[in-house]
Amino acid sequence: MTSLLRRGALFLLVAVIVVSSLFPFFWMLVTSVKPDSELFTRTPRFIVTSPTVERYTHLLDGNIPTQFRNSLIVAVATTVLTGLIALLAGYALARYRLRTRHILTVVILVTQLLPQTILVIPLFTLFRNAGLLNTFQGLTLSHLALTVGLCTFMLRSFVVEIPFELEEAALVDGASRLRAVWSIVFPLAWPGLAASSVYAFITSWNELMFSATYMQRPAIETLPVALQQYFSSYYTDWGGVMAASVIFTIPVVIFFLIVQKRLMQGMASGAMKG
Amino acid sequence: MKTTIRRAASSAIPRALRERRLLQGQQGFERRFLPWAFLAPLLAVIVGVVGYPVARTIWLSFFDGEYLQSGPFVGLQNYRDIFADPYYTGALVRTTLFAAAVVVTTILLSLAIALVLDAAPRAARVLSVIVLLPWAMPRVASGIVWKWMFDDQYGVVNWLLVNWFGLDSFNGYSWFSTGTPAMVAITVAVVWHSVPFVAVSLFAGLRGTHGEVVEAARVDGASAWQILRRIRLPMIRPLLVVMTTISTIWAYQSFDHFLVMTTPPGGPDHSTEVLSLLTWLEAFAQLDQGSAAAMAVVLFLMLAAVSVLYVRLNREDVR
Repeated sequence: MTSLLRRGALFLLVAVIVVSSLFPFFWMLVTSVKPDSELFTRTPRFIVTSPTVERYTHLLDGNIPTQFRNSLIVAVATTVLTGLIALLAGYALARYRLRTRHILTVVILVTQLLPQTILVIPLFTLFRNAGLLNTFQGLTLSHLALTVGLCTFMLRSFVVEIPFELEEAALVDGASRLRAVWSIVFPLAWPGLAASSVYAFITSWNELMFSATYMQRPAIETLPVALQQYFSSYYTDWGGVMAASVIFTIPVVIFFLIVQKRLMQGMASGAMKG
Repeated sequence: MKTTIRRAASSAIPRALRERRLLQGQQGFERRFLPWAFLAPLLAVIVGVVGYPVARTIWLSFFDGEYLQSGPFVGLQNYRDIFADPYYTGALVRTTLFAAAVVVTTILLSLAIALVLDAAPRAARVLSVIVLLPWAMPRVASGIVWKWMFDDQYGVVNWLLVNWFGLDSFNGYSWFSTGTPAMVAITVAVVWHSVPFVAVSLFAGLRGTHGEVVEAARVDGASAWQILRRIRLPMIRPLLVVMTTISTIWAYQSFDHFLVMTTPPGGPDHSTEVLSLLTWLEAFAQLDQGSAAAMAVVLFLMLAAVSVLYVRLNREDVR
């Protein structure tokens, strides 16, 4: 009897957790396909009787495809560069006994707790002087500042897990260090790369402050900036902004679902080390 | 599993020793040069887009900086100015209260969720994916959705409060026309976004605490609650401290939700202005680089102090 009660309570709690996690996603989607007549009701309607995709077709005719492409360029560039930089650095930190290792660790840690506001002003002047304002290169560079630290730590802990014997064998067989990294460590560090990639991609895709400051020409605007501006000028067009939000959310959710298994492993191993 | 076996098999010679031997056997060039070649890209990024900007911001905070131009040296004048500015001190207090609310709620909710996941091992795999999902929703999008859910006329939140909880005063209640309710609504949205990462991390930590000690305590007749309080929570204490640190830092830096959910940003009448937003507006709307730099430096020092405090706390607990 008590076990039945316990299971019932547990089920209820799980239901509450699932609903509160997913409801905003559901509501965003539902709002985006409701015709206005079903949208503005005092009692919310949870089921759409006559869904419309009109808002989507309207948005796709506008600037959204360009903004989507811009965001994708920056996020993919950030992800690839972060993976490369962090894997090499993580490898060096895991395998070599550098005397400066502890200082390096502290420096990397500090980069992770810096407020973005302490970077935003000098980077603006730097990019302005270097002609990097309103360029994908500039924004990508600024996003690297947010991603490389944590990803280096993630990959370092993954490389530590890879038995050194495997590389040793390759090195004894006369392979160069680079070759050993490329053909042995790289494939085995794959789960770590997946975890750090999803972190880098999501960070870059979602980033607003740098994007709003450094991308001011409509043609190269990224999605978060465009959406924020659209929302602040037409915030009563709820259906429209929801449809745009859905388009904005889909890629990260898909990317997240593809690599979630790896991500969980990454987070679990991070949690063990505390 | 595989790695454990492999490692056990080769543990006869200490790994560090073999590593050193092998590395010493290599040419000095490779040993000296290669690690730095591997670290070079990271160091370039850290120096170029982190180190330089930080140093530059500290430098700029001592200069007059109208229109984003560096003016004459003014010493601590920018710092005196911002602390004499009621909008800044207001934002400082507001951000601190907001961060406290966000951190306490996030940690408690996350711990509760982690415990539920831990109690339902068979569903945990799927559940943790669902729990982590809100973390993936762009903050701008989640700000918009929550603003819609908190809408006075057509929002689900008011509807829920009136019809499910019988709180009639929320009929048509306007969350964003005064400061405090707006802060509450934004807190809810920010907590929804920060819980997932913390909850799943705590769950992973909790899972690592099942083992001999817990088993022994159970055999000795300890209740589940005793085991949790006396054994499992102390075991994940370092992780709890790390998560508290991380969420404090996140909360103090909150920017996106405020920019999206308040009109005008930080409004009405500066009543939702938080530090990051104020700093950004000071720099790129007021174009006062000096004051903005000083604000950024103060925030940085505060976050550094918080981190040091937490690290100390952790160490003393271990002793």
